[in-house]
Amino acid sequence: MNLNRRAVVWLSAVIVAVNGFFPAVWMLLTSFKTETELIRSPITYLPIAPTLANYVTAFTAQPILRFMANSVIVAGLSTLLCIVIGALAAYALTRLRMPHRNLVMSLLLAVAMFPLISLMVPLFKLMRELGLLNTYFALIMPYAVLSLPVCTLVMAAFFQDIPPDLEAAAMVDGCSRVGALFRVVMPLAAPGVFTAAILAFVNAWDEFLLALTMMNRVSMRTLSVGITLYQGEFAFPWPLISAALVVAIVPICILIAVFQERVVGGLTAGGVKG
Amino acid sequence: MTARKDLSERALGVLLLTPAALLLAAIVVYPVATLLWTSLTGVDNANPGAGEKFVGFDNYLRAFDDDRFWHSLWQTVVYVAVTVPAALLVGLGLALLANRPFRMKWPVRLGLLLPWALPLVFAGLIFRWFFEYQTGVVNDLLATVGIAPQNWLSDPTLATVAICTAIVWKASSFMALMLLAGLQTIPRSLYEAAEVDGATAWQQFVEITLPMLRPAIFVALIFRTITAIQTFDIPYAMTGGGPGDSTETLAMYIHKTTLDFLDFGYGSALAALMFLLSMAATSGYLRYTRRSAGREER
Repeated sequence: MNLNRRAVVWLSAVIVAVNGFFPAVWMLLTSFKTETELIRSPITYLPIAPTLANYVTAFTAQPILRFMANSVIVAGLSTLLCIVIGALAAYALTRLRMPHRNLVMSLLLAVAMFPLISLMVPLFKLMRELGLLNTYFALIMPYAVLSLPVCTLVMAAFFQDIPPDLEAAAMVDGCSRVGALFRVVMPLAAPGVFTAAILAFVNAWDEFLLALTMMNRVSMRTLSVGITLYQGEFAFPWPLISAALVVAIVPICILIAVFQERVVGGLTAGGVKG
Repeated sequence: MTARKDLSERALGVLLLTPAALLLAAIVVYPVATLLWTSLTGVDNANPGAGEKFVGFDNYLRAFDDDRFWHSLWQTVVYVAVTVPAALLVGLGLALLANRPFRMKWPVRLGLLLPWALPLVFAGLIFRWFFEYQTGVVNDLLATVGIAPQNWLSDPTLATVAICTAIVWKASSFMALMLLAGLQTIPRSLYEAAEVDGATAWQQFVEITLPMLRPAIFVALIFRTITAIQTFDIPYAMTGGGPGDSTETLAMYIHKTTLDFLDFGYGSALAALMFLLSMAATSGYLRYTRRSAGREER
């Protein structure tokens, strides 16, 4: 009975893990295969003659490091913008006595939840008219909006838990209200701020539609769009694409592996409370 | 004194909300206003040099007669109708599996997080290749159980199946994470009491787990529906809308109309229709939740 129970628990873990990992593992395996091995029939699962050649090609065929740098810049700056603006809003909505604050909160969220695809058309037109296509600005601003609702919610949830007395004490000691926000509330809410930042970063890193729309110069492509450039019109060099995909997802994998508990907490705080 | 403090607190609140309001005004409100205006304009085909002019509701009427629009709308509805319930079921299954006392937590947690963190396009690319005729894993697995290989991506129906599979895989783990958080708020004592009363595992699931999980399920469903209506990345990566335009979604058609055909008027009208669709789905859900919440209170 006890053994049975443990077997069930074990099996559950295996199912969830395999479901989550198999595409990534499959990519990793294929990235070591040669093009000739790929078209063998029946298909092979483990590479017969492992090679690193695909990784070399991944770095030379397309400017993948440039794509990555673009992604880091866009995701990093949009996260920063989103966190600062979201923190101010979350503070106002949780710690100040404001009239109609629930209304303001829902209004902010409703506006920010506008479907991205509907937004894409006018934003493209706007950025084109302003001559801002192929600039980081064209992605940073919309990405900050994209994550604003979830970041505000996550930070609001954390701000709420900080005792107001601490802030009052800081203000008695001559700190201004905004000073208290940055010197007392923010450091205490650091885990929440950090969680919100990871969510915003991953959102921006993964976004495809706007990245495809706003950047049409190869040197300005972000990683999610850049990866699709490895395919030919009709040819899919899968080992090469796999190698590029592996390179592209390693940073994000490290990020979520290191901060997995925070990320789960943030996702569910934003979701369940929203 | 208190009155003055209240006033300054209110003023500070407004001040702190200003950056968010400005950002939303610039990136959402103003573009949406121009979207609505642009949707009422068009280029005169007889005199294209004259630029865009006001055409009233012509673009919306054009959509009404446009088979490609209806087909992409239908295809979007199919993706919503299939992937929302399927992702919920798979997600619920994953959440129940993950809600066990594991000694080692990270493989399960990462197993749920990885599909969420993987960009949609990447998931689309990987699944495209799973479903390839010659080199794909799916046909290889089918062969081992004696089923002939299928031309997944060049048949409209099979391609839709393949795309739905990829979407469900990608979306179900995020659902599982949200449902798992809901599961963990259910007090253990409820199950213990039920066990004392002799309830079977199935009865416990139906009588305790599902009702307690309802709020989490609703939030997950709303999120999933809004995202499913905007389906773009996965079909883009898997079939590019093909074969023909058979797997094209409304979002893909809007993108093509605007970016490839540079038809801003028509693209804007389609985008406005998309917004209405999304609003309708959200408010429908909200009304349903409110009504069922009201019933429970009574």
